[in-house]
Amino acid sequence: MSQDTTRRTDGVGAAGAADAGHEYAIDAERIEVTYSDGTRAVRGVDLQVPRGEFFGFLGPNGAGKTTTIKTLATLLSPTGGAVRVNGFDVASEPRKVRESIGYMAQETSVDPELTARENIQFACEAYGVPRGERAERIDELLDLADLADVAEKEADEFSGGMKKRLDAATALVHRPPLVFLDEPTTGLDPKARNRLWDYFRRINEQGTTVFLTTQYLEEADQLCERLSVIADGEIVATGSPDGLKRRVGGEILDIELAAAEGVDTGGPDDPRERAAAVAHETDLFADATVETTADGITVTARDARAHGTDLLVALRDEGLGVTGFNIRAPTLDDVFLAITGEHVDAEDEAADEVAP
Amino acid sequence: MSTPTEGSETAAATAAEGATAERSANSFLGDVWTNFKRWNLKAVRNPFVLVVSLVQPIIFLVLFTQVFGTVAGGALPGGISYETYLVPAIAIQVSLAAAVTSGIGLVNDIEEGMFEKVLVSPMNRTAVFLGKTMAELLRIALQIGIILVLGVALGAEITTGVVGAVGIAAAGVLFSLWFIAFSNTLAVLTRDQESTIIAANLLQFPLLFLSSAFLPLESLPGWIRTVAMLNPVTYGVDAARAIILDADVMTVIDVSLGYGGALDTLVPAVAVLLALDLALGAVAVAMLSRATSSKVR
Repeated sequence: MSQDTTRRTDGVGAAGAADAGHEYAIDAERIEVTYSDGTRAVRGVDLQVPRGEFFGFLGPNGAGKTTTIKTLATLLSPTGGAVRVNGFDVASEPRKVRESIGYMAQETSVDPELTARENIQFACEAYGVPRGERAERIDELLDLADLADVAEKEADEFSGGMKKRLDAATALVHRPPLVFLDEPTTGLDPKARNRLWDYFRRINEQGTTVFLTTQYLEEADQLCERLSVIADGEIVATGSPDGLKRRVGGEILDIELAAAEGVDTGGPDDPRERAAAVAHETDLFADATVETTADGITVTARDARAHGTDLLVALRDEGLGVTGFNIRAPTLDDVFLAITGEHVDAEDEAADEVAP
Repeated sequence: MSTPTEGSETAAATAAEGATAERSANSFLGDVWTNFKRWNLKAVRNPFVLVVSLVQPIIFLVLFTQVFGTVAGGALPGGISYETYLVPAIAIQVSLAAAVTSGIGLVNDIEEGMFEKVLVSPMNRTAVFLGKTMAELLRIALQIGIILVLGVALGAEITTGVVGAVGIAAAGVLFSLWFIAFSNTLAVLTRDQESTIIAANLLQFPLLFLSSAFLPLESLPGWIRTVAMLNPVTYGVDAARAIILDADVMTVIDVSLGYGGALDTLVPAVAVLLALDLALGAVAVAMLSRATSSKVR
């Protein structure tokens, strides 16, 4: 690209307008990563992330999230496809890409022997933050990460959440226009997670494009404007969190039924089949999906929460014994089930328990 | 923050442009310095690293001179005290022990994610490793300094004075490079702290004892003399010993270059060590560039 020469003195607006690709923080076409043992970790992933967006990359363990993010951050050269990050080609201008991004790896990466301040200081020097601005920048990031009180303590003494926040702060020293966050909240308690979320929202509000991978639908729901779902190295869905949840078809009502003696499994007298029939016939729910499970039924409907108790009453009227029930928001597993027809090993259940 | 709340695309664009323009201030030497500082800071923070690589050599120095001093002294030519004879060997032992910590530092960096963090930064990668190695070499030189002071306190005599002391430290640094390269290669291959420590430590004792470190080779069995000739420790110790005694002490290979005195030992010893440093250094560089490459495997 002609404009990516060493002299970039003219206004960025003009340069950006000259290059259509630069409107995107990330512009990747058909990324392929095939390991030498033949494993195809990423299979033709297309990604266009506009500047300023909070973008989510959702998928179970081993789906290819980290591999993809590493190709975007120049840590891994894709075996196929073209990737431009902030207008720079990752293959031919990796150093320019590195200068213009922040990257927070899945494993917390801080130097435990250095203090919080020294960790950020090192990052400032690594990213060439001008000497005169460093002190101010460090204080500002310590504040943002809520670590000002422990700035002179060695990171070794920090909790998991504090280390994560410090790690995130070091990724932001050069005020990158684009930040990659690879499962930043995995393994954190809810309080620490919420604090990090606030932090990421603030970064995004300040104009930073955020690319976040997560296994948690709830996290994507809270933070992301748009997200892609990846499974087995391929993007299977892209849209807003609400859009994806709509594909699940609403909230989920799990009902456990008392087993009946001497009845054919799957036959018309099976309580599960009878309950499913009731759920269908009562017209309680608009657009409901009813499935039988090992010990009962599952109803997926937008108004599952509102009319769940009515169904329980209807089941009792039919003489069916309900031993337990639970209304919950769709999880990643449900999204996956809806999109791919397959279950994943969901680790997060945003369960909303209701005592029977 | 100067502009953050205005947000949106212009702020982001300015930030990008700013970062790119500012970066030009970061030079190769700047990157070396940044990493040099970090590893020195880590060494100071973690006295364990400093102490561990000093404790064993100091124990050797004190015990060997006190226990074997009188007996071993008899095997030495020309009234040299065992303290004087042993101090160069202990200096080399320190180099060996300290060089192991270089690989351990790398493994820790890999395990703590700092290695990847550095790779994703725009720093020059050669500068990153150069800065780290320079910090380690500085530490080795200082540790040898401590051993020399202790040795003199115990009765060793540095014939060549302060210049000699600096020379011994230089010999130790030159000697340490091949083992630093070796421990980094181990680190990249095993990516495991315990394996690196065990492998490097297992080698330490045979290397030290099967060399000219503790006794003159003439007083040792023939097979040890053969092994000693192939053992880098012999060349490191001989170089340091030639400096402390200001004499030709090398017995494994007989070179008469006609320089006379210490140079007849120093020149071949330095040549052997340099060749070894270059060879193992090349292996380590190859291993490191493999480890830092973004190529899919």
